[in-house]
Amino acid sequence: MYKLWGKYALSTALVSALLLSGCSSNSGSGTDAKTAEPSEATVNETGFPLTKEPVTLNMFTRIAPLNGPFKDMPVFQDYEKMSNVHVNFTEAPTDGFQEKKNLLFASNELPDAFYRSGITPLEATQYGAVGQLIPLEDLIDKYAPNLKSLMEQYPEIRSAITTPEGHIYAIPGIVTLAAARTDKKWINEAWLKKLGLKEPETTDELYDVLVAFRDKDPNGNGKKDEIPMTARAGLAVVNLMSGSFGLDQQLGYNINLENDKVNIWMGSEKNKELLMYLNKLYKEKLLDPELFSQKEAQYLAKQGSGNAGFFFDQTNNNFLPIADQYVGIAPPAGPHGDRLQAQTAPVPRDFGAFAISSVNKYPEITMRWIDYFYSDEGSTLLRFGREGEHYELKDGIPYYKEDFLKTDNQPKITPYAGGGAPHLISDKVASYINPPQVQEAQKKLDPYMPKVRYAAPMFDEKTAQEVNILRNDIDKYYEEQSTKFIAGALSFDKWDEFQSTLKKMQIDKLQELYQAAYDKMEK
Amino acid sequence: MKSAQVQATAAPSRVSARRGRRIWIQMVKRYDLYLMLLVPIAWYLIFHYGPLYGLQIAFKNFNPAKGIIGSGWVGFDHFERFFDSYYFGRLLWNTLSINLFSLLIAFPISIVLALIVNEIRSKSFSKLLQNITFIPHFISVVVIVGILNVFLSPTTGPINSLIEAFGGSPIRFLEEAGWFKTIFIGSNIWQNMGWQSIIYIAALSGINPQLYEAAKMDGASRLRRVWHISLPGIVPVIVIMLILDIGHFMDIGFEKILLMQNNLNLEASDVISTFVYTTGILKGEYSYTAAIGLFNSVINLTLLLLVNRFARKMSETSLW
Repeated sequence: MYKLWGKYALSTALVSALLLSGCSSNSGSGTDAKTAEPSEATVNETGFPLTKEPVTLNMFTRIAPLNGPFKDMPVFQDYEKMSNVHVNFTEAPTDGFQEKKNLLFASNELPDAFYRSGITPLEATQYGAVGQLIPLEDLIDKYAPNLKSLMEQYPEIRSAITTPEGHIYAIPGIVTLAAARTDKKWINEAWLKKLGLKEPETTDELYDVLVAFRDKDPNGNGKKDEIPMTARAGLAVVNLMSGSFGLDQQLGYNINLENDKVNIWMGSEKNKELLMYLNKLYKEKLLDPELFSQKEAQYLAKQGSGNAGFFFDQTNNNFLPIADQYVGIAPPAGPHGDRLQAQTAPVPRDFGAFAISSVNKYPEITMRWIDYFYSDEGSTLLRFGREGEHYELKDGIPYYKEDFLKTDNQPKITPYAGGGAPHLISDKVASYINPPQVQEAQKKLDPYMPKVRYAAPMFDEKTAQEVNILRNDIDKYYEEQSTKFIAGALSFDKWDEFQSTLKKMQIDKLQELYQAAYDKMEK
Repeated sequence: MKSAQVQATAAPSRVSARRGRRIWIQMVKRYDLYLMLLVPIAWYLIFHYGPLYGLQIAFKNFNPAKGIIGSGWVGFDHFERFFDSYYFGRLLWNTLSINLFSLLIAFPISIVLALIVNEIRSKSFSKLLQNITFIPHFISVVVIVGILNVFLSPTTGPINSLIEAFGGSPIRFLEEAGWFKTIFIGSNIWQNMGWQSIIYIAALSGINPQLYEAAKMDGASRLRRVWHISLPGIVPVIVIMLILDIGHFMDIGFEKILLMQNNLNLEASDVISTFVYTTGILKGEYSYTAAIGLFNSVINLTLLLLVNRFARKMSETSLW
């Protein structure tokens, strides 16, 4: 009986959210009000402050578990003084962020801007088409010189964020530093040395190494407690190993591009080989048994424990105290000699990091506000905080001060920790995430990087809907079945059934839609 | 009653007018009671009938910027998509079977528990039993699932340690579809049987003790007394409780299922309510999931009506 309450509360909240949306949109949206009354604060075309009159903006943002409150971050405190713009952040934790964001759109209770919001291409098209997000291309042209010059320098940015109608509804986080776009393959060098093994060059050698890690007690405590291989929870491991089996990840999806032909490889023989390989590792307890249930914090703890043999991460920051035990390796060659670092993000790495909504009264000021972070100077402020207090310059490159790092406050003072912040990551601001060890690891990957990396394409609104409907079914099915194949809950005898179900879910149709988008992009 | 009807046919307007006035006078006289009634009525109007207005998005392509009224009609498109969906059969089966099994197993257990508590002579022991079975009800769902995770962990959980001690190999209880329903229903019973038995215990205490004495005089055994006096005494309550349970048959345990769900047990744990959450709220397909939710409610209402009619025929007890 009592349980009823929870359910009523939930459904009431849900339905009333939908109901409210009806009311608020009936009573005239903020857009009309905006055009009627001219905003009293005007933008300064160049220089700081951005405006004479102080302006307040409401932004909705995601706060990662390791961040401190945004209002206490030195970047926003100092930037407020510089810009004369005060920002009220509404923070939603990473868990449940997607839900909160969608409810904001569904109930039409929009903030002025979305900051570090991870808006998907589909959401950008949908909410842009209905006018909840405003088109930014003209604003970028006039008020975002830094962003504009980056877009000229890297043409793939523009194609990745522009809809077929020519609109830009969201600005990405831009990563010009190659090392920040890949997860390195970290192997426990100390264990390799102790067991007299060398860095694995093929998937078979990798298997042998992992078996040795499991059986030969490399940590020397007499117990079989080593974790030979681990990865982020879920199917991340598939993306990280797919390159060895000739499976690339173009267009932000499970896609190979061969002679301008889009090929979705989920049902292919190569993918079967990959899953069989992972299944072998999982079955023999070489791959972490907690792979499908572990939380992010558990995974990071395993990195730092020194008890993991082989794992994946972009930097060495999570295992800094024991970093000298590890070394990055090249992708192992697969059974057919494939050797590719398929897991590679495009230059516009974090799609939808920033967007301006229709209720924003000062889109020009907002655009100038965000543009600063696409300069090295702004990015330094965002990532490193205050000079002297948090960082010092060596040869013009900012480094965190030793005594500041000792306080363990580093991720608290910057919104980049936890990923997805709208700013520029270049080699100028990467002293912390790209120390020599990470650079070395990246060098091992460099020869195997794909020649071009296409970001997820932008579809027009109707196609986007279609893709969404197809992918909702297909992705859910693919994730569930792949997990089962790896965990051994589903035998590979069922592969034909898996393929035919994908067919039934119209994976061919999906492939056509991606092909069309790709063709349009190439033109 | 009969004469009133005859009168009513003879002069309907005059009688109804007189009756209306009488009701009006009564209402004015007892205005304080009716004012109090306003609060629950408002509650129902605002939170239960008002939201029905939003239900129309199940037949529309809901567009948040245009609002509920402004979005365009699409007829039964969303329903067709759901019925054609690969997941339709699985969702329906899981939703029905989880609820059916919990009803079949959990429902009688609380009755049996109530009978046992009633039969225990030692007051202190029966109170103790009641408290022990009662307390888990107050643990929140999140904590319960946390407890399950700890106890059933394949590496560190006590249950698997026990299995290993007897020479078995550890079972990944939470990652096997075959175990999901057992664990879900079993832990539900553990958590709620005490709470659900309260109402039966209350009903049992209302049975006239003279009946028991008479039966004793006639030489009826204990079991006989339970069977012929206790049980029939609480049948009306049982029927009402059954109908109430059917009332939320289709959406039982949403939070718990969501928390226990993972890709490996999805085969058994994918139910309509969690599907609505993941597709509707997380992926923003409001109209599609509103249609699914409506479908869910229609099934539930049908079940409720059927069971109510059945109960009225069989036992002359029903909600209406």
